[in-house]
Amino acid sequence: MGKGRIGNNIRKLRFFRNEMTQQQLAEKVGVTRQTIIAMEQDKYSPSLELAFRIARVFETPLEEVFSYQPEDEST
Amino acid sequence: MSFQQKNITVSLSIFVIILGFYLIRIFQMVQNASFNSTNVFRLWGIIVVLAVIGTIVATIFTHIAGGIVHKVRTNEDPQIEDIQDERDQMIDLRGTRVAYTFSSIGVALSMLTFVFGQPPLVMFTLLIFSGVLAQVVADIWRLTLYRRGF
Repeated sequence: MGKGRIGNNIRKLRFFRNEMTQQQLAEKVGVTRQTIIAMEQDKYSPSLELAFRIARVFETPLEEVFSYQPEDEST
Repeated sequence: MSFQQKNITVSLSIFVIILGFYLIRIFQMVQNASFNSTNVFRLWGIIVVLAVIGTIVATIFTHIAGGIVHKVRTNEDPQIEDIQDERDQMIDLRGTRVAYTFSSIGVALSMLTFVFGQPPLVMFTLLIFSGVLAQVVADIWRLTLYRRGF
């Protein structure tokens, strides 16, 4: 089974939260700013726990922050 | 560049120097016909001590140099940012896996030298070479994962 692609709307959601900085989000969810940058650039897929923590910060359901695209649909 | 990346870069530089030093010393021993157990085991000791000291120095140097650069650039007091989050731990784990793979191959090759009738010194020489090389490859792999993502 191939690996799919996990996308996210973190950049957009930060914008709608009064332009929350990456550092602020990183501190709220307990990771480094580099990890937030990597996620926004689709270079890192977070753990389920971190994904829930991020969704909680934005007070939105998980599916509105993250999306999953199977490999056969993304190609 | 995060603290972890800087630390790996410094560690990589130190281990490349150690590897270079090791190869040069072995080459000199072979050239001077002084490739004997006394010299090889002394070199073993030096390499192990250098590796331990190198790892400690890399961390201290990264803290100090990073703090100085931060102060000069922003005129703010440096913050200690050596927390390892889940991404850092994952990258570290993958690097360690690569290091183990290389070390295992090195150990297997070292043992293979006995099969070809080589003296134990060759085995010991290959053993430490593969250990240091594994560390270098693991650090390169970690930096690649930081840059490329996964």
